[in-house]
Amino acid sequence: MSFEWPWQYNFPPFFTLQPNADTRQKQLVAWCSLVLTYCRHHKIYTLDVMEAQESPIFNNKKIERKLPTEAVQIIFEELRKKGNLEWIDKNKSRCLIMWRRPEEWGKLIYQWVSKNGMTNSVFTLYELSNGDDTAKEEFHGLEEWMLLKSLQALQLEQKAEIIAFNDSKGVKFF
Amino acid sequence: MHRRGVGAGAIAKKKLAETKYKERGNVLAEDQIAQMSKQLETFKTHLEEFASKHKQEIRKSAQFRVQFQDMCATIGVDPLASGKGFWSEMLGVGDFYYELGVQIIEVCLALKHRNGGLITLEELHQRVLKGRGKFAQDVSQDDLTRAIKKLKSLGNGFSMIPVGGTYLVQSVPAELNMDHTVVLQLAEKKGFVTVSEIRSSLTWETERAKHVLEHLLKEGLAWLDTQAAGEPQYWLPALFSELYSRDVSPEEASQLMP
Repeated sequence: MSFEWPWQYNFPPFFTLQPNADTRQKQLVAWCSLVLTYCRHHKIYTLDVMEAQESPIFNNKKIERKLPTEAVQIIFEELRKKGNLEWIDKNKSRCLIMWRRPEEWGKLIYQWVSKNGMTNSVFTLYELSNGDDTAKEEFHGLEEWMLLKSLQALQLEQKAEIIAFNDSKGVKFF
Repeated sequence: MHRRGVGAGAIAKKKLAETKYKERGNVLAEDQIAQMSKQLETFKTHLEEFASKHKQEIRKSAQFRVQFQDMCATIGVDPLASGKGFWSEMLGVGDFYYELGVQIIEVCLALKHRNGGLITLEELHQRVLKGRGKFAQDVSQDDLTRAIKKLKSLGNGFSMIPVGGTYLVQSVPAELNMDHTVVLQLAEKKGFVTVSEIRSSLTWETERAKHVLEHLLKEGLAWLDTQAAGEPQYWLPALFSELYSRDVSPEEASQLMP
């Protein structure tokens, strides 16, 4: 299934930061939503800011419009405030993109566990993200750092405990 | 000497005659009124008969409805004037337009964040039809226009701006004067407009053009594009054709809640 761009993507002024505050607010909301759905569709977990600016997200070749660096930074900052983005380095050149926040992933995983009556059992992280049982679940194929963050969120809610094995990690659900 | 008709008696006589004339006049006038009202009554009965006989057609066919409205207009009857009158009870036309009014408001509200509260009559028409479903009675642009006129009585929120061969329906009370309207008309074909286009088409000063465009930005009706070749373009989402057939996405819908 190919990615369906929102209507704004072909609307030339979408690539100019709007001077009117209300309009800009709508514009930013639309951009944030576009970045998240795009990354989710292409299963992108990390973004390099320089690369991202050249990628199709911010660069519509068809209408010859490109979002300026300043605007890209504003959008990333907006995403960070919403809890969907985390900087990897201090220079803010690379970031983690979480199209679902850790708590949301945690909830999905916990739902699956309880639905299958597997609370009180122990899983390896690999089993959860790559096992046959979870093949149909949305969290199947989730990168390990993201999975770990989600389980940590569950741990805070006392619904799970992360256990360290020899060289890998496991988790027990309650 | 004998002068006739100057004595006190003559004056009294004259007065008497005047009153008699007046009385007679009154009687005549009353007769006429009675006759007229009788005629009107007959006419109204016929119109009512006609209406009840063709109730189904009036309700169902948009074209028939236009003709019926015209007929009513020529004799000064407004079937929409009240929700309680004979016409609306008989035909349910009042309800029909009220329902339509609500649907128009719904569509306009749902799209407000996209187009700033400005929409072409065609797009509104399409979306209202879609919203009503397949089995509802047909609705024409004429019906929409009537319903919008009724909405005006709720305040100055709704208005219609003629552009080209069609209308833009404005659902937010933004202050738009003739200058703004003319610029909207200019933008109608391409969906955007620039300062020099305004200068050459309307022979305005740069300042006047800029002033109008600034206002449209301020009201959230226009978006600025500074990456266009040459000079900035001012885009009207309401006139952006690719937006036309797009549905409201769930993300957008969730933004509707204030």
